[in-house]
Amino acid sequence: MKLTQMYKASAITLALGSAALLSGCASTGSGDTAMVAGKEYLLTSTRPNLLHVVDVETNKLLRSCKIPGIFGSNSIVPSPDGRIAYVLTNKWEDVYGFDITNCEKVFSAKQSYQNVQIKTIISLAVSPDGNELYTVQNPVVKHADRFEVQQPRLAVFNTADGLNARAKRFYPVDRRITKIGAMDNGEVILGGADLKAIDPKTGDIRVLKKLQNWQRPADKWVAPDAFAMQAQGEHVGEYILPYFTIKWNGAPGEMEKAEFWWGMNRIDLASGKLESNELVPFEFIFFNLVTDPNNPDIVYGAFNNLSKHSVSQHKTLATEDLEHTYYTINMTRDGSRLYVGGTSSDISIHDPKTLKKTGSIQLPGDMSTADMRIARLRD
Amino acid sequence: MNNKLKRALSGGGVLALASLMAAPLSAASQSGAQLLQERCTSCHTPTADGGLSRISEQRKTPEGWMTTLNRMQSQRGLRISADERRAIIKYLADTQGLAPAETSGKRYLLEQTPNVLDDTPAEYAEMCARCHSGARFALQRRTEGEWERLVHFHMGQFPTLEFHALSRDRAWFELAVSDVVPQLATDFPLKSTAWDQWQQADKPAPAGGWTVAGYLPGKGEFSATLTLNAKGDDHYGLTLSGQYADGSPLTGQGSAVVYTGYELRASLTVAGVKMRQVLALSADGSRMQGRMFPRGATEMGGELSAIKAGHSAILAISPAYIRQGESRTLTLTGNGLTGKVRLASGLKLDQVISRSATQLVLKVSAQSGAQPGLRRIQVGSSAMQVALYDQLVRVDVVPADSIARVGGNGGKQAKVNATYRAVGYAAGKDGKAGTEDDLALGYMPASWSLKPFDAVAEHDKDLDYAGTIDARGVFTPGDAGLNPERKMSTNNVGQLAVVATVKTVATEQQGQARLLVTVQDYIKSPLQ
Repeated sequence: MKLTQMYKASAITLALGSAALLSGCASTGSGDTAMVAGKEYLLTSTRPNLLHVVDVETNKLLRSCKIPGIFGSNSIVPSPDGRIAYVLTNKWEDVYGFDITNCEKVFSAKQSYQNVQIKTIISLAVSPDGNELYTVQNPVVKHADRFEVQQPRLAVFNTADGLNARAKRFYPVDRRITKIGAMDNGEVILGGADLKAIDPKTGDIRVLKKLQNWQRPADKWVAPDAFAMQAQGEHVGEYILPYFTIKWNGAPGEMEKAEFWWGMNRIDLASGKLESNELVPFEFIFFNLVTDPNNPDIVYGAFNNLSKHSVSQHKTLATEDLEHTYYTINMTRDGSRLYVGGTSSDISIHDPKTLKKTGSIQLPGDMSTADMRIARLRD
Repeated sequence: MNNKLKRALSGGGVLALASLMAAPLSAASQSGAQLLQERCTSCHTPTADGGLSRISEQRKTPEGWMTTLNRMQSQRGLRISADERRAIIKYLADTQGLAPAETSGKRYLLEQTPNVLDDTPAEYAEMCARCHSGARFALQRRTEGEWERLVHFHMGQFPTLEFHALSRDRAWFELAVSDVVPQLATDFPLKSTAWDQWQQADKPAPAGGWTVAGYLPGKGEFSATLTLNAKGDDHYGLTLSGQYADGSPLTGQGSAVVYTGYELRASLTVAGVKMRQVLALSADGSRMQGRMFPRGATEMGGELSAIKAGHSAILAISPAYIRQGESRTLTLTGNGLTGKVRLASGLKLDQVISRSATQLVLKVSAQSGAQPGLRRIQVGSSAMQVALYDQLVRVDVVPADSIARVGGNGGKQAKVNATYRAVGYAAGKDGKAGTEDDLALGYMPASWSLKPFDAVAEHDKDLDYAGTIDARGVFTPGDAGLNPERKMSTNNVGQLAVVATVKTVATEQQGQARLLVTVQDYIKSPLQ
């Protein structure tokens, strides 16, 4: 029954996504609104290829910056001072940095070169001092009559190099890395088959948490599928990666006796402290989680519904149906509002206490897979 | 279940097949070998054995080579004329094709048969068949190095591949190269005895008249004469003339090409509808077997079998069942149906209603006390069996698992229907329905209805939105697009049970199949 429902849910998602593609076309938003240090600004992106800056006090779209190239995946990471939004775009290849106060393009890096195709699957992070930008590159050499897959690598860029920047250092990393994040100690978290951290000065890698290679008995637990398409966590300074696993209470494959679990890896970027554990029974899909800044025991998830969970009680506390599928979720630093976005062209705003919808932001195009980050502008 | 459903997606986009099917002779057609040298060597380099890199290390079906040419044109900058393209495909299919035995069990993909659940071995199911049909790779032959290059191609062409479910949870690339490539090279090697022998064999000559029997959903069973007129270089003119079981005419005209010595691809127009035929000639040239379908709606096709003039055989008996104590009209379709009619014990010939060399209509009665079982009906030296049965105890709906797709409503994609037939069974010797020894009675007329597949479908009112089924067992899905009446404005997707009710004088039985009505398919390939 569960799998059937899942299949159906994914069919519905596809339907919504594909229909949404037909609607709307982007335009630039209103111009010269003054932006204030200390305030928060929501950053997201829509097709055809725009970066949007939204004032979270008024929930008004302040400006929309044109991004060169084709949409995809449009992962976004704000600089630590909140002024620059780095966007991974052009079908997972190029990175552009925009000053969100005026749309000025202050950084660009085309990763593919000559006959080498380089794709970065979501992996985008900025060092705590804002001086370095990291991507995980998946290179493939395109020979005249064949492709040749190369070892993935962490690429380190100097943000000060500005336009047409080239990576200064490369270090080999595992395959299948998605979400990355920079810790205060300078290491970069690599979210892949296992959670690892790499020192971007030396390339030294250490294991933070084994996931697919965890040591639990295979006849009791299915190795976790840890995956998230969007990044968040800047409101509390954390890296968060959900996973899915199955516990066999009978023989492996005996679904009637099995337990289906969501799990969560959560890393405090300041201390490096890692939590990794089953979170709540798998009853519905969420794509991403965010932590309540006022109570780290509470996390929120979103997909077809918005949900609220207790980490310590392994319990879903509340759910609220959404009007359509939303891929990502984020939260203000004071914990007063939840933003649910991605997929289509509207961001749904909710009260964390009740999960009830309190507002909406309409954008000129579809967010699809884009990130939705909330930057705080510093002086 | 996911894999089963994915594999059920097999009969897919086919518009691109047009160039394979309707391939008129061109006065300007050059030799394929010459074209390969002229058009392909800017990227493909000569090999030690006189071939070209990559190209010489593969064998494929005509559709397989066409898929390759499609990609070279759309993504690798190859510029060739339509005539040159046809000539290259023909040359490669003829010289680097698959032997008849090498396509066995996988022809459903070439024939665009929808809703096939193939039995893909586990090592391929998660690696290849989670996106492709099990036939996509099983209809190719490559060297080990070439299978490995195919893995690298996938990584470069589809960079998110490693991050899909069933990839990201394992070392997909490493496993593909270390485990699956050697297995593919063993199971589907470039060099094979079957291909060596087929290259040496005399190839069948299809020109001439054929008697065909077949079925088209919404139309019914048909019998006809198919005539192929040789135009040289494996090209043929084609005419089709016959009738459906209800007496309405079936006529068509078109052209055909034979690839690899036995793969016949025809394009014809039937009652204003452009149709395709994908047929395999038997090695002795006496038979053809395959499928005929509308060009733009492959799911609305059906099986077709043919026997060549000069060869005697019964192709079909309709219906293929008769109940104890019953008198029935049986229609036999075939060739050389001129000999003496002999019926096995328990059956009696009451009357020959009409007869020709290709069709024989008999009034037959079955004794009331006759032992149930299969009985031979013989005409001259040709024979076929019918089921003599006591009571209908079970009805199966085929296909048992199926997919339809919403469409239309101003969108770019047409609806994809699903079509069903009912197969009846008697209990067999053990007297119990649903056991191994049940006696299959063949296709039976049925009345058709729909119901929600499960509680979720009932809750979501799928029955109200997902589509309708007609009296002939053709399901038409709902319109594409968001439906504000539904929860989350979802599309008209749903899960339904397709119910067939078969009535006989003595009893009434129902059977049901599962139908998933889903969204449009945005991946269009001649071979999915």
